[in-house]
This record gives sequence, C-alpha cells and structure tokens, in this order.
Amino acid sequence: MKSFLIAVPLLIASTFVQADNTCGKVTIADMNWSSASLIANVDRFILEHGYGCDAELVPGDTMPTGTAMIEKGEPDIAPEMWSNAMKDALDKGVAEKRLRFAGKSLSDGGEEGFWVPQYMVDKDPSLATIEGIIKNAALFTHPEDPERSGFYGCPAGWNCQISSGNLYKALNLEEAGFDLIDPGSGAGLSGSIAKAYERKEAWFGYYWAPTAVLGKYKMVKVDFGSGIDKDEFTSCTSAENCLEPKVTMYPPSLVQTLTTEKFAAASPAVFDYLSKRSFKNSQMNELLAWMEDNQATGDIAMEYYLVNNKDDWMQWVPAEVAAKVEAALDNL
Amino acid sequence: MAESSWLKEFPEMDRVDLLAIRKGLDSAYREFSREYGEVIESFFDPLLTFLVWFEKLLLTTPWWIVIITLTALVYLASRSWKLSLSVVLSFLAIGYFGMWEHTMETLSIITVCTLLAIALGIPIGIVMARSDRARSVITPLLDIMQTMPAFVYLIPVVMLLGIGKIPGVIAVIIYAIPPVIRLTNLGIRLVDSEVMEAATAYGASSTQRLFGVQIPLAMPTIMAGINQTIMMALSMVVIASMIGVKGLGQPVLKSITNQYFTLGLFNGLAIVALAIIFDRVSQAYAKRTQRHM
Amino acid sequence: MPEPLIQIEGLYKLFGKNPKSVMSMVHEGRSKDDILAETGHTLGLKDINLTINKGEIFVIMGLSGSGKSTLIRHFNRLIDPTEGVIRVDNIDVMKLSPKELEEFRRYKMSMVFQRFGLMPHRTVLENVGYGLAVQGQSKAAWTAKATEWLETVGLAGYEAQYPSQLSGGQQQRVGLARALCTDAEILLMDEAFSALDPLIRSEMQDQLIELQGKLHKTIIFITHDLDEALRLGDRIAILKDGEMVQQGTPEDILLNPADDYVEAFVKDVNRARALTVETVMKPPSGRITADTIAEALVQMKALKGNHGYYVNDDGYQGIVTLDALEACSDDGSQQMSADIWQELPAISPDAMLESVIPETLEADYPLPVVDEEGNLKGELSRHNIAEILGGAEKHVEEKI
Ligand SMILES: Nc1ncnc2c1ncn2[C@@H]1O[C@H](COP(=O)(O)OP(=O)(O)OP(=O)(O)O)[C@@H](O)[C@H]1O
Ligand SMILES: [Mg+2]
Repeated sequence: MKSFLIAVPLLIASTFVQADNTCGKVTIADMNWSSASLIANVDRFILEHGYGCDAELVPGDTMPTGTAMIEKGEPDIAPEMWSNAMKDALDKGVAEKRLRFAGKSLSDGGEEGFWVPQYMVDKDPSLATIEGIIKNAALFTHPEDPERSGFYGCPAGWNCQISSGNLYKALNLEEAGFDLIDPGSGAGLSGSIAKAYERKEAWFGYYWAPTAVLGKYKMVKVDFGSGIDKDEFTSCTSAENCLEPKVTMYPPSLVQTLTTEKFAAASPAVFDYLSKRSFKNSQMNELLAWMEDNQATGDIAMEYYLVNNKDDWMQWVPAEVAAKVEAALDNL
Repeated sequence: MAESSWLKEFPEMDRVDLLAIRKGLDSAYREFSREYGEVIESFFDPLLTFLVWFEKLLLTTPWWIVIITLTALVYLASRSWKLSLSVVLSFLAIGYFGMWEHTMETLSIITVCTLLAIALGIPIGIVMARSDRARSVITPLLDIMQTMPAFVYLIPVVMLLGIGKIPGVIAVIIYAIPPVIRLTNLGIRLVDSEVMEAATAYGASSTQRLFGVQIPLAMPTIMAGINQTIMMALSMVVIASMIGVKGLGQPVLKSITNQYFTLGLFNGLAIVALAIIFDRVSQAYAKRTQRHM
Repeated sequence: MPEPLIQIEGLYKLFGKNPKSVMSMVHEGRSKDDILAETGHTLGLKDINLTINKGEIFVIMGLSGSGKSTLIRHFNRLIDPTEGVIRVDNIDVMKLSPKELEEFRRYKMSMVFQRFGLMPHRTVLENVGYGLAVQGQSKAAWTAKATEWLETVGLAGYEAQYPSQLSGGQQQRVGLARALCTDAEILLMDEAFSALDPLIRSEMQDQLIELQGKLHKTIIFITHDLDEALRLGDRIAILKDGEMVQQGTPEDILLNPADDYVEAFVKDVNRARALTVETVMKPPSGRITADTIAEALVQMKALKGNHGYYVNDDGYQGIVTLDALEACSDDGSQQMSADIWQELPAISPDAMLESVIPETLEADYPLPVVDEEGNLKGELSRHNIAEILGGAEKHVEEKI
C-alpha cells in the first residue's frame, strides 16, 4: 500500500519529466519494403535518442498511409513516399495545409521501367532494347496461353498500372503478341521475377528501383530508344484518360519524406532533420543488397548503417544531437 | 552485462546462427524449385488447360445461355422457383453493372476449386475417420492450413509455379479444403454405432458399409462441410487475385488501394451474391435429399 | 436329444489398450474393480462356458453392465474375445478369415438391436431386405422376400415409409423382419424389446413365440427383465459382472437360485405368472380307485387325510370325503356313484400358477392336477401357493 502511494507521484513526476524534454509521441510509417523500412528505423532511432521523442513505428503502405495522413493526420511521418503514386491527393493535401514535404528521401529519385533479366541480355544483347524484345516476343511465353507472350504489368490499383498500361499501348506490345498480365500485388510481381530468375526463364515486365528485388536479381532496363519526355509523361503517360500515349522512358520519380502539417509545425527541429536526411541510389542499392544477403530487417540494417556511416548521418543533425545518438549507438 | 542477462532478456539464439538457418532453408527451397519446378509445373498442366478452357467457355458463351444453364442447374438441385428466380435477377444485375466478365472468371475458378476440394477432401476425410493415426497426423495439418496467413505459402508457391491460376487454385484449396475434410471425418465418426453394428452383423463388407451406410448417413454433415468450403473458397477470391488470378478480386484490390468505395462495394456484393447462391443451392439440395434423417 | 449348435468355452474379454498383458491378473482371480483400478482395463467377460442347442430360445440375463451385450456380440464376432473358443455348428469362428467371417454373418446369423439399428436413409422395405441385398441378391429377389416378411410382422403397407415415420414398436417389427428375412438359422436379440412400452412389449413377445412355433430357429435373447426371460426362455443364463452365475431352466432358476445375486433377481419376479402348476404341485395325497364303498373306505383309511380323489376308468371324477363314505357305509357293497363324490374342478399341470390362484383359494380342498388324458398328477393346495409365493406375498395379496 505504502509503495503504491509512493509510486503514484513518481509515475506522475516521470511523465512530466519526459514530456518536458521531448518532442512527444511520434508515429512513423514503416512501409512494407526494405528501403522504406530502413529509413523509418533510422528516423526512429535518431528521433528517439537524438531528439528524445517517443517514436513508434506503425505498419504502412503508400496508398493507405497517404490517405490516413490526409484524412486523419496520422501517422506523423512517411519517410519514403513515392509521391507520383498518389500525386493529386498529396498535392491537394499540401494545398489544404494538411501535409508538408520535408525533403527527398532518395536524392536521385526512384527508377522505373521495363526490365529483362541480365542473363537474357548476356545471351542476346538486342534484348536490352524494345525492338529486340518485340522481335523475340516468342521467347516470353504467356504462362496460361502458349500461343501468346506475356508482359508483367503493374498490380491493379497502383498508379504505375496507368503508366505501364499506357506504355504497353504506346509500344504496340499487344500487336507484338504480348498480353498484359496483372500480377495482383507487389508480392505477385516480385514472386514472378524470382521464379523466372531461379530457373533462368524469360521475364519481361515493369519494376522499379531501388528495391531488394533489383538489388538481388540483376535486371537490365529496356531502352525504348525514345529518351525521357517529361511533359508527355506527366500530361499523358501517367494520366488515366490518355487517349494516344506516346513512347517515353520513365523520368526519375520523386521519392520524398512526407509529414503532417501539424507535426511539421510542432517540431521544427525534427522537421529540419527530416529535410536533410537523404540517400543516394548507389548507396541505397548497396544497403539493400547487404540486407538481402543477410536477410536483415529494417532495425538490423539501421544499426549496420548508423554504425558504419557516421560521417553521413552526422551531417543531418546538430552536433549535440549527433553526440546523443552516438552514445546510444555505443550502448547497443 | 553479466552472465545472468538471460534472466532479464530472453536467451535468444545467436543472430548469426539464426541467419544461417534462414538462409540455408531458403536456398534449399530455391534449389528445390530450380530442380523440380518444371516437373511440378508440367504435372499441373492438364489442370491449367482445363481451367483456361472452362473460363473461356463461360466467357465466350452468350450471357443468356449462361444464365439459362445456371438457372436450370439451380432448379434441378433445389427444386425451388424462388431461388431460381433470384439467381436470374442476381446475374442480370451483375451483368448490368458491368461485372459479367469478372464474375464469370470467379465463377469458373471457384467451381473448379470447390470440385477439386470435394474430390480431395472427402477421401481424406474418410481416411481420417477410419484411422486414428491418420487423424492425429492430419488434424494439426488442417489447423496450420486454416490459420497460416495465406502469403506465407503463396510466395513459395509462386516461386514454384509462377503467378496465375494454378497457384491461385492451390492457395484457395489449401485454405478452403479443411472444413470438408473435418466434417467428412466427423460425419462418419458420428454415424450411429448401432446402425454400423447392424451393417456389420449382416455381413456387409467394408466397402458396403462405407458407401451404403457411412457416407449416406454422414451426408448431412459432409454437405455442411462442402457448404463451408465453398464459402471459404469465395472469401479467398481477393487473396487469390493478389497473385494474378483474374476475377472479382481484382477490382476489389484496386478499390482497396485507391479508396474506390463504390467499386469495392459492387464487386464485393457480386462475390456475396455468388456465395449466397452457392450456399442456398447446396443447402436446398442437401435438405431435399436428406428429408428422412 | 438336444443337438448343440453354439459352444462357448473359456471365453474372456478384457477391454483396454493391452488386454493380453493383463490376462495373468485375471487368471489369478483378481476382481473386476481391482483390475480396473490397477490397469485401466475393464473385465467384460470372465470364463464363460455355455452350450446352446438347436431350436431353443436361450435367454441371457443380468443387470446393466453385467456383460450381456458383450457376450452376444461374440457370437458373430462384432467383438473379438481376448481368450476362448467360440464354435458355431462345429466351426471355430475365431479361425474364419475376414471373407469367411462376412459369409458367416450373412448366412448363419442375424441380429435384432435394442435401439433397432435401422438405417434411416433406407425405406422400411429396403431395411428389411438389407441382409439379402448385402448377400448380393437381385433387387427383385429381396423385394419379394422383404414384402412377405413385412406382412408377417403385420406391417404390410408401410414398405415405402422411412423408419423415422414409424413408432418404436413398428420399428422393432421392421428390425425383426430384417432379421428373419435372411433365413439365418440363428437369431441374436440384444434387449430387442427393452425400448418398448409394456403393452407393445408383451405383444412382441407373443409374436416372437408364435413365430418361433413355426420357424424353430435358435434364438439367443438378451434381457434384464426376468419376467420376459421366464416367458420366452427354454433355458436361462445369468451373468454378473462378466461371470456366469447360473444356467438352467426357468424353474431351476426360480426355485433354486444359485446365490444371493440370482435370488435378488428372482425375488421381485411375479412367480405366479412365471411358474406352471406342474412345477409347484405336490403328489396327490389320496387316490381312491375302488368300485364299492367298502373298498373305498379301506383305501381311505390307509390315507393320512380324510379325503381322496376318485379316479375310475374314465379318469378323475371328483373328491370323496371320509364323511361321505361313512354316511353310506350301511351298504358296503354299494357301487361308487356320483352321489358320493363331490365335483371339484381339476387344474391342468401346464396352467400358469396365476390362472389357478382364485380357484385354489376358494376351494375347500386342495385342487387335483389332472393332465389331458385325465391322469391325476398331483394336487395344489392353498398352502402350496402361499409357500411358493412367500417371497412375494405382496403380489399374492394384491391378486386376492
Ligand atoms: N468398448 C468398450 N470399452 C470398454 N469397456 C467396455 C466396452 N464395452 C463394454 N464395456 C464394459 O463392459 C462391461 C459390460 O458391458 P455390456 O455393454 O456388455 O453390458 P450389458 O450387460 O449389455 O449392459 P446393459 O444392460 O446396460 O446393456 C461394462 O462394464 C462396460 O463398461
Ligand atoms: Mg447391453
């Protein structure tokens, strides 16, 4: 009884103390792919130990997280948002002062395109170009119809479904004998690559980088021979009602850190960190390859990264925060 | 930290060892799929051909012939005009709202999955009912099949067979077959022991007992299992479409990622309509054939 | 000369995981409770020996759990013994191969079950014909036979009904018809009538007796009701905790119970309904056969009592008392005549005790027991009846 009486004031006191020198409770979307998970874990560690936040990871995915941030103001941070995927909604959110973009999580932007496995190009270098692929359409047998060829598109409902569908049209792939296969989900799409790769089968379809899949399975981006026509891409290729799509390579897509306006306003110091925190694609590919090799989860990769790349991340935060984070790292 | 740290923290396996195990098993599976994938794939070829053919049949047959045929089947099974009429109305509505193709695709794969689940499940249930050892082996397997998240086995299946109908059928069957197995087993085990004794006492052979007594008497329970299997198969439509199975699941997925609530609702309702039709027809059929038990 | 049909020797049955290993305990004579407590095995039957003759109704009785069902299921090997020999028609049933066993069950025995054991998904007709259908007979063949037997048990017209549409009594008639339909020589009936109410039950007993009169099957009938046992049984065996405590004719069991268990069983039975006059009558105390009164007086004097039954060439005539003889002793040469003897109803030795109780109690003298040919076989007095029913005075008082 006595100890209880003592404990209650203690408890109250401790919450006050905590509230005093922290940025409070922060939720960070932990997207279900490796690079995003790594970044989310890095953010969590630095926010928790550097800024004294009570940071918590919540599971996320592009569409649900984006929508929840607009509608509910939750979670506070989406560390790797492929903003093209729901461009209109996010822009509207920013305009309505619900969201704020911090900075580019991937400074080079995401890489999208149509890919074929390296081993196919090794055999026939012409397969690195769209003409070569169309000429050799018969190689890419449709899994359910031996008469046809198969092109693995983007899963239904994803924004890339529109762009890959438009390019499929623009490249006249249908006449070339290709059926557009809906893989149903990201897992379905990556699964189909893994299956083809393990058996050295033919595969031709849409994918993006940096990803563990492209880190692990060496693929070659097919050259459309058209170069990048950014205007055509934004006005038509990525628009649902594009009537006469033209051929263009994918421009690099923006990959940004997104926060809610509420959070950005309340924690300017953290927002400042988020604006600086950024990875190069080459660096990220390396990290993803390391993760893949070691089957590492986001938190393990985070440790690996923070320990081995101090010069990197110390530039994102003020010196005293860096010191606190370093101390926490030593304590691990 | 002292040696007694395991008191505070769970004595975990060494990260490196754990990693070695995970990597070892994964590469073993890769090895396996590289080695036998093609053989296994070709084993399923006839089924794939049939699936493709059946889907094409439903898609290319004029809609009104499909509706007439389905209604006739429903009437034959249930002998109920009401039910038959509601089938006509549901399919007209489905077609009118532009979901005909997806519905036919779903109908074809669910029909095949259900038939396969029954064809596999009833014999397994019988084996399980006849041998306690078989039961003690199969029961935990069924528990795993019902509770294991579908993606855990979906992706290995995709590794082995690619995306599309066959892995879809396998995933649906894994999830949907347990009820028919369990209830076949249960139904047979619950057959009145005196009736079984009577059959034995009159010299019935074990096949005569199985087909003349056990299965007919277990039929109400087996039908309940089939009914549940159909329902569970339909509930897997969306998951199956995540590995490239065409049908009503695709628009549902699309509506999930894009918050197209109405699209989701319409296609969801079409799945529900199929479910209700399957359910009512199988129940009406069961009731009609088992009036005396 | 009775011809043995079923012989059981040294039959033991232990229920449990590993019965063979526990048999040694059984042979050491440990009790059923001991064995259960120590090994978890239930002793179902212990050292059963019996012989059942062709054409008899052999009743097996015992309290619930005494092993009756277990025993009867050994005859057609629905249960396999742990030890012992079962011979039917000189075939060692234990040596039959699975195929032979099927044949044996199809043609040699049929069975009627306590809860009927009818197949709910088959019509009444299909149920009755089941045994024949299993034998592989054509539908036409078994339909004809089944129809016939349904008629015999009084269920013509119910062919297309399903068992669930019938009353309990009707269902058991179907069960009986099914058993009779295969024409098997042996009929096993496990508490066949126990689930029926008393009225239907006694009707079914009558029907069984009537059928048996025509068919002369060998019937093994199980019941826990002694009245039923006494009514149907040519011989009765009594089981207690898996052991055979007594075997014998109904009279044997009633009159000479082997131990307290049997006695307790018999105590409650309505003996008046179970015993015939013959089994309880005493030898006739006096028989007067003389032609003249003088001779009759001489015969009478030689008797202990003061009356005798008058029997002449035409058989039993009536009772003659000492007083009546002395009243006309003036003329010793007078022929015996109807004036001298009084009429006194005779009773048949086969009559059930119950049916003669009123007459016996009303009469001033013990009643003579006279068979169909008119031979005087014995006499039955009030005292006799009181003695026999002594164990169940209650019943007698109710009757009076
Ligand atoms: N399959 C079995 N496993 C274990 N014990 C059994 C089994 N069958 C019967 N027994 C036991 O054998 C004993 C005899 O049972 P049985 O059914 O033969 O009795 P019964 O005389 O027919 O009784 P009732 O009049 O209630 O039918 C009981 O103690 C019972 O518990
Ligand atoms: Mg019994």
